[in-house]
Amino acid sequence: MSELIKEEGPQKGAGQQKVSRRNLLADLAKATVGLAAGVAVLSASAGQVEAESSTPQLAPSPAPLAKQIPQDQLILRMQRELYKALQKPAEQRQWAMVIDQRKCVGCSSCTVACKAENKLPPGVVYRPVIEEEYGTFPNVSRRFLPRPCMHCTNPPCIKVCPVAATYKQKDGIVVIDYDKCIGCRYCISACPYGARTFDWGEYYTEGTPELEKYELEPAFEYGEKRARVKHNSPINNTRKCHFCLHRLNEGMLPMCVTTCIGRATYFGDKSDPESLVSELIGSSRVMRLKEELGTEPNLYYLV
Amino acid sequence: MKSTPKGQHTRRDFLKTTVFLGGTGLLATQAGVFGKLAAANAATTGANGDTYELAKPENVLYTCCLQCTVACSIKAKIYDGVLSKIDGNPYSPANMVPNLPYNLPPEDAVRVDGKLCPKGQAGIQHAYDPYRLRKVLKRAGARGSGKWKVISFEQAVDEIVNGGQLFKELGEGRQVTGLKDIAVLRDAKLAKDMATDIADMRKKKFTVAQFQEKYKDNLNVLIDPEHPDLGPKNNQFLFQVGRIHNGRIEFSKRFVNNAFGSVNWIEKTTLCGQTSNKAWLRSTMDYKDGKWTGGVKAPRPDWANIEFALVLGTIVFEANYGPVQESEPITDGLVSGRLKLAVADPRLTKVASKAWKWLPLKPGTDGALGLAMIRWIMENNRYDQRYLENANSAAAKTDGETSWSDASYLVKIVDGRAGKFLRADEVGLGSKEQFVVYRSGNFVAFDPNDTQKPVEGDVLVDTVFKDIQLKTSLQLLREEAFKRSLDEYAEITGLKVQDIIDVAREFTSHGKKAAVEFYRGAIKHTNGWYNAQALISLNYLIGNPDWKGGLVKPAGGLDYVGSKPNKPYDMSKLHPGKLSAFGVPITKEGWQYEESTLFSGYPAKRPWYPFSGNVAQETWPSIADGYPYPIKAVLLSSHTPMYSVPGGVHQLRTLLDPQKVPLLIACDIVIGETSMYADYIFPDITYLERWTVGQGPHHVRVKSTAVRQPVIPALTETVELDGEKLPLSLETLMMAIAKKLNLSGFGTNAFGSGMNLKRPEDFYLKLVANVAYGDKEGDVVPDANDKELELFRQSRRHLSPAVFSEQAWQKAVKPEAWRKVVTVLNRGGRFESADKAYVGEQQRYTLGSIKRFYIEEVATSRNSMSGKYFSGYAIYEETQDSMGKKIEVEGDLKLITHKEVFMTQSRTISNYWAELSIQPENFVQLSRQDAQRLGVKNGDKVRVKSHSNPEGVHELGNGRQRFVEGTVKVLEGIRPGVVAVSTGYGHWAYGSSDVVVDGVVIKGDPRRATGIHIQPIFRLDDNLRGTPLSEPIGGSVSYYDTWVTVQKV
Repeated sequence: MSELIKEEGPQKGAGQQKVSRRNLLADLAKATVGLAAGVAVLSASAGQVEAESSTPQLAPSPAPLAKQIPQDQLILRMQRELYKALQKPAEQRQWAMVIDQRKCVGCSSCTVACKAENKLPPGVVYRPVIEEEYGTFPNVSRRFLPRPCMHCTNPPCIKVCPVAATYKQKDGIVVIDYDKCIGCRYCISACPYGARTFDWGEYYTEGTPELEKYELEPAFEYGEKRARVKHNSPINNTRKCHFCLHRLNEGMLPMCVTTCIGRATYFGDKSDPESLVSELIGSSRVMRLKEELGTEPNLYYLV
Repeated sequence: MKSTPKGQHTRRDFLKTTVFLGGTGLLATQAGVFGKLAAANAATTGANGDTYELAKPENVLYTCCLQCTVACSIKAKIYDGVLSKIDGNPYSPANMVPNLPYNLPPEDAVRVDGKLCPKGQAGIQHAYDPYRLRKVLKRAGARGSGKWKVISFEQAVDEIVNGGQLFKELGEGRQVTGLKDIAVLRDAKLAKDMATDIADMRKKKFTVAQFQEKYKDNLNVLIDPEHPDLGPKNNQFLFQVGRIHNGRIEFSKRFVNNAFGSVNWIEKTTLCGQTSNKAWLRSTMDYKDGKWTGGVKAPRPDWANIEFALVLGTIVFEANYGPVQESEPITDGLVSGRLKLAVADPRLTKVASKAWKWLPLKPGTDGALGLAMIRWIMENNRYDQRYLENANSAAAKTDGETSWSDASYLVKIVDGRAGKFLRADEVGLGSKEQFVVYRSGNFVAFDPNDTQKPVEGDVLVDTVFKDIQLKTSLQLLREEAFKRSLDEYAEITGLKVQDIIDVAREFTSHGKKAAVEFYRGAIKHTNGWYNAQALISLNYLIGNPDWKGGLVKPAGGLDYVGSKPNKPYDMSKLHPGKLSAFGVPITKEGWQYEESTLFSGYPAKRPWYPFSGNVAQETWPSIADGYPYPIKAVLLSSHTPMYSVPGGVHQLRTLLDPQKVPLLIACDIVIGETSMYADYIFPDITYLERWTVGQGPHHVRVKSTAVRQPVIPALTETVELDGEKLPLSLETLMMAIAKKLNLSGFGTNAFGSGMNLKRPEDFYLKLVANVAYGDKEGDVVPDANDKELELFRQSRRHLSPAVFSEQAWQKAVKPEAWRKVVTVLNRGGRFESADKAYVGEQQRYTLGSIKRFYIEEVATSRNSMSGKYFSGYAIYEETQDSMGKKIEVEGDLKLITHKEVFMTQSRTISNYWAELSIQPENFVQLSRQDAQRLGVKNGDKVRVKSHSNPEGVHELGNGRQRFVEGTVKVLEGIRPGVVAVSTGYGHWAYGSSDVVVDGVVIKGDPRRATGIHIQPIFRLDDNLRGTPLSEPIGGSVSYYDTWVTVQKV
């Protein structure tokens, strides 16, 4: 992974942060109501958008999948389970991801899909796939390890943030409030998994005959349209995987899950014993990375 | 922006030229890097609870990928008029299994995303490439000088059509023959008559003298009246094309073959899997009316149900046809325990890394491994005798089989060689269209297609009947397999005897739920045809065709050209004044040397390819040799021989020689590694801006017809042609030439009275309508309702009027077809439900018919160079040149190449998210043992040399050259003695180097120039003046027969 390890340049950006950034995600209640409202406009058939509420929970915004859609399909089963989980209060669901290493074909489609979905610039990667070769000829094997954020139950990264810009949501997702982040990058060092990278404000097509418009269009991370222009966030912020929270809120699975050609990545609510991820976590092949650190990742591997 | 080094022009200077994509409307950037437009977006940044625009149905269009040739159906998500995200189309069984029901309204499908590979995901960067061309360029220096000027489309078309002293201002006084003086035969009736007589001349039923007498007033239209079978002068126009798909194939053939009248429409298929295609085709042909006909070019394993597979030389997780369809059923099988996999490949590919057994065989010995397995299987009687004894349809049916084989058919042995099958009339048992088997002491004549009277035959027979020596097909194969012991096969392949036995035993332990899958690695060798036959034979030995978990037929797509009776448009008939192209193609494909008037004993001046087509490596050396005739003008499209043909750069001198190639025209999306040497470059549009209809994937077991349609406005300049505003593209260029030359089949009344072809959709929407009406009466899609029609309009609101006008589109089809067309376009094609794949334990779409171990028409043909007969059955042959001379060991390493999953060969270097992020450069991959021997380690620079390129030099033209050098990567997962280099890097054009347009230097992007380009090193054929070694039957270029030395720099 060429972009996984990036030489750290001189610290920049911290002094350029806007002073009065909106405190969006800190107030989860407001944010989620807003999201629900937006979705209601989109899908009139959603029917039951919850009224404004003071309880900090995500409203069940998306419509369920149409009955015509096949039931016996893993991806669609997970998408239905996602909808089911969204009906519950946030604190009653725990998002988890399971990656079956025996099914991972090392194609990096997840890496690229994530880059495209989240408009990630050079140097920022949420989901690298790490390749390893074991053994000596002719007894050799290759293993592929997709390595997104572990969304730890005890995340070391949030403890070092001086401005509480990164924190764990009730549903288990570790998020970054781009408006609060001051770009100090302590969290990058603190993460034992190397899951965080920094947005230095670069563009792929910079220095070519045209800075392409697709790089300037907004991404939809955290349910916000943010264009990477001028020095606006997320430029000069730390960035990481958020399980495609903006897609979850639409009843859609994370990008890496849907695009996976080996069907190696699974996602769902592990607090639901009926869910596919719960079944998989019960496998004898299950493991987590760096268990000894006590971080308790919500990212499980089947090996 | 980064600062501009002294002496270089700035980006702003560059934008003034407006040649490239820069300046196509991103005016914001001209006001500064982050101009007003972007700032406007910034104003909404962070708005609380912004909607996820990519989940809105009006922001989604379904189309068809072309980042590789698999033709996945894709879902293009557009925001703010910009293509923002690409995913798999869940309506298509190629991208979701089971797929969404076809009748599901698009608004209900929009939140479901299908799977897609990394190339497909990065397709946005293929279209939005800053080095895209938007205006026509004419060279402003010698060919390949990198100097260009912008000229108008009208002027460019005028120049190439009329010719003249086109490069006078460059000091080149020569007269260039324009297309008008090449397309001289314009009389459709005359062309048809001549074509008919030439067909008779091939059969020696019509002489040259008769022809000259009959056409004495028209001999001036011929290239050479002494050799009328070379065809008309029109053939001196060559259209050479690379990655092209159904629909555009028909559009361009309509122009080249039927309007311009040239036979020379040549695709790049022999760079790809042509030998595999052709070997499968011949091995699956039907026998009808005394002729071998039909056939299926790509039977594949039924991955979803298979229990054991041997995979040779194909990286099914990374390339092949393709990773998106194959990976999921394989990983599912491996983890569930259903599937056991063995992979034979010199390199530990990603699929090999998951296999039960990796067989790191020596390159080019796949056929030997196949024969070794055949030997063991026959010695141990582990073949499906019941299947193999069935000689005709009725016998197969009795056993519940859909197919039968020629295993028991008797072949005549004449002078010690196997020739044709014995026909019943030769021994007085029946007609000349019947074959003969031997059963229970009797000779039995039969019709293979007889469905009433079952006939079975003994499969191992060696006998004499009426003084004719006879052996069965299987007897011949057995004798070949038994020529060597397993120890000898182990020595040849570099494998262990026990491994060969283990794999053969496992292969024959799962009944019909096993298969052998192979592709490029097994067949891109001079012995590739026979390797393919050995591996095909293994499948037949276990009788796996058409069984669930066995060998299956790609179901393909629906008929889009409208040949079936219920179709609204039979495209073959909708061409008044259609010309019949005739004569020997420049590649001498589809012709026996012996049937041409050029025959003058062996060797021929250059090879002929009677069993192949689209022999891409043969065009440029043939032009250089003027054999069979000189070429006057070439139009290149989506093909880059200087980059992608092994040793192709040895023909650079031909491209640069105006005597050999008087007019070189390219139609390209960028200035590529070959278009850079052209006289003119006409901008083309990418797959995300254009049409094609009818592509179907290999690894889908139900009918799947993807439609490619514009999902973004064309990025090329808009021009006016025949009263229509059109973006520049290959279609626009062809229509403009046709208009200027007044060719048939284009423009006013092109399809017939009142039916014009003035816009691409006039053509392509008729193909969509054919798809909408299905292949059977009544199998028509429902009309789009008002809501779907409104969605159709809304989702195209960002397209420019030159691309989308509802009125213009509607006019292209009959009124009653319009809403059906909308239904298809709203889903990106037409897709059958994946659950229709099987009927009981067999496939719904079957191969059926005879499976051939023995190909008599090949056995009775000669190699046009050596004069030796080919073999009709699988044999093991060492690497040899066109004269049959063995290629000796010429270095200490055998070179193999491969593709990575995130790239295609020549055109993904613009994909910053994929190829350039995942692996910014490629490597010279060596085993640890070889690295130690050579004293090199990871990161060292090495130069690669070969017999045909002893200095390891890559000539770039105009006195420029570079060395073939790359960075070492040391692996355990590669056979010692083999060096692997991936393709796709080491670019010297395609935006990687500077060009000058209208006097302004356009800086290249150095990120695109990294890595090594190995093509200049490949072994050439010593007899053929700058032509790579090739496989003589299927016509493939050899990719894996080159010995090299690697030297630390």
